[in-house]
Amino acid sequence: MAADENAFSELIQDYIVECLPLAEQVGDAFVALERRWKEGDPGDNTLAALAGPLHTVKGNSAMMGIAPAQTVAHALEDICALLTAEPRLRGDEGAALLVSGSGMLIDLVRRAAGGAQPEAAAEFAEQARAFITSAQTGAAASESAGESTERRAGDRRITSRREEAASEPGSVVRVDFRRLDALLEVLGEGMIEQSAVIELYRRLARKVGPSDEVADLDRALLALQKTIKRMEGILMETRLLPASSVFNRFPRLVRDLAHAAKKPVRLVTSGGATPLDKAILDRLGEPLIHLLTNAVVHGIESPEERARAGKPAEATLDLRATSESGRVVIRLSDDGRGLDDASILAKAEALGLEVRASDPEQLRALIFLPGFSTVKEVSSLAGRGVGLDVVATSIRELGGTIEVSSRPGQGVSFTLSLPLTLAILRSLIVEVDRERYAVPLSHVTATVRTEPDTMHQINQKGVALWRGDLIHVADAGELLGTGAPPNGSRRFYVVIGTGARRRGILVDRLIGHQDIVVKSLDPTVGRPEVVSGTTILGDGKVACILDVVRILDQRVPV
Amino acid sequence: MPNAFLVVDDSKLHHQMYNLAFARGTLAGSTVYHATNGREGYTLLAAHPELALVLLDLNMPEMNGLELLARRRTENLHPHIPIVLVTTEGTPEDEARGRAAGAWDYLRKPFQPADIERVVARALERAAPGPT
Repeated sequence: MAADENAFSELIQDYIVECLPLAEQVGDAFVALERRWKEGDPGDNTLAALAGPLHTVKGNSAMMGIAPAQTVAHALEDICALLTAEPRLRGDEGAALLVSGSGMLIDLVRRAAGGAQPEAAAEFAEQARAFITSAQTGAAASESAGESTERRAGDRRITSRREEAASEPGSVVRVDFRRLDALLEVLGEGMIEQSAVIELYRRLARKVGPSDEVADLDRALLALQKTIKRMEGILMETRLLPASSVFNRFPRLVRDLAHAAKKPVRLVTSGGATPLDKAILDRLGEPLIHLLTNAVVHGIESPEERARAGKPAEATLDLRATSESGRVVIRLSDDGRGLDDASILAKAEALGLEVRASDPEQLRALIFLPGFSTVKEVSSLAGRGVGLDVVATSIRELGGTIEVSSRPGQGVSFTLSLPLTLAILRSLIVEVDRERYAVPLSHVTATVRTEPDTMHQINQKGVALWRGDLIHVADAGELLGTGAPPNGSRRFYVVIGTGARRRGILVDRLIGHQDIVVKSLDPTVGRPEVVSGTTILGDGKVACILDVVRILDQRVPV
Repeated sequence: MPNAFLVVDDSKLHHQMYNLAFARGTLAGSTVYHATNGREGYTLLAAHPELALVLLDLNMPEMNGLELLARRRTENLHPHIPIVLVTTEGTPEDEARGRAAGAWDYLRKPFQPADIERVVARALERAAPGPT
């Protein structure tokens, strides 16, 4: 393309970095404007505020020789100028043009490095011209009919100033994210080496007994630990991005989905400033898109059905992010028809699953199971089965959990709980049959010493009375298939849980808390189902990380 | 002695483009000052009477190109420094408005490094025989 011959083509990535957020800002604003115009709000300020970003995208695209993006930005400017001058033209037709054109612009900028199709851009410019011409003809007609209109349509430029100053403090640098990944990897190695040194120190101290040197070494190691901890904190912070960097894509998506489904839907987002590791954010978009699609297509009723239920015609999707004790919680709620518990129960029975109809929470958790999705009954299940197992799997792979709650006739709410980061896991190290295992601390509720009279057997399954509740307690050796039969060595159980679900795991010893560096497993190597990854401990030995969520998910017949 | 230039533009991308342009051919070794809005640009203009040329973007937040030119005229700040107005707007009216506001020349986007070289050469030529 022309960009190759351009003297500035080496700046293509800088072009994308500068123009993509601007194009997205413009696109989001058009989606918002479309809604406001429907509500009768002219949105003067928004329209004026878009002149700056559009102009920059146009100018930069011209400089880079990216003609299609320049053409589309120019056409959008022209439509904006017309609509600024003629408030009465602000309506569905203009809005649809602005939304589709800005969508195209975002796409063109995003894929600028790979060349773009000029045909679509030219086609859009043609549509814009047709719209403007017919509007101006209409304006001329009404003017001659004696109506007064402001004569500014000829002035293409919107001269009002940008609301947002584009300038940033000069101390900001851009860094390839892979470098931050590499840095984290190296820090992880450092942490493993550090635990090795500490392990050696302990053995040495035991051997030589107290001395000044041992005390000094102790102090030096403590200082080193603190420094590495601080380094980790700073590095983690540099990897954080606001949740809005993902949320921002959704107003347009919901608008398009709602359009296609012919259901008026309003998306309300909050907590966009909540920070999350970029590596997690990058993989969060897909599952959220899945949930949003499900909500619009299946969860929300048709306007007629809503009217019969006495609900407002326009449905509300509420997407919010919050930070809760070291994790990020993302909740998506709709005000649709809710899950159809009866159908889920019927489906579960058809699949031969044992469920208690009296426990709606257990029942609804079934919608995340594979096989609950692809079947015909999907629509009779209020469509909630569509690919939810895929969503649950991706959230789980991120070390997160997903839960659903539903109130019949009032809507469904999905709650995702995610770790702040993927790479370093605060863990409880336990020993089972002389092997060590890591249990993510985020899911550890308590550790309890097994007393003879607190453990019981019901139907050959262990249960324990914990804080007044009976919880199931499974043997870790059995879960992991260590082969060694329980021999009375299990002196503790670890209570793990998410949401309202709790379960105990019997172990031999509690070793202590440790920050571990997660190493992913080679997928070709067989492993117990309940292991999510591995780590290297201070003594250089490999330890498996228990997949707490999977353990909790294992169905316990009652 | 290398020449000094001031670039006023709110687009970071443009500053990088100017850096490329000022690093090649006859312009290599030039000093380039950067400002990201008109206000900053005006401050730098006031601080550097030695500037050989200013390249000024028209559309900017916090004092646009025309506003900067107007203030410079009112305060009669370094009238010997030629200011080139850079813009995507191509109508003759726009150009006339810029020149009326005190722009010495008018550069249209998209430009290439050679265009910068040309406009600089003309500015230096103009400055050479005149009084300092």
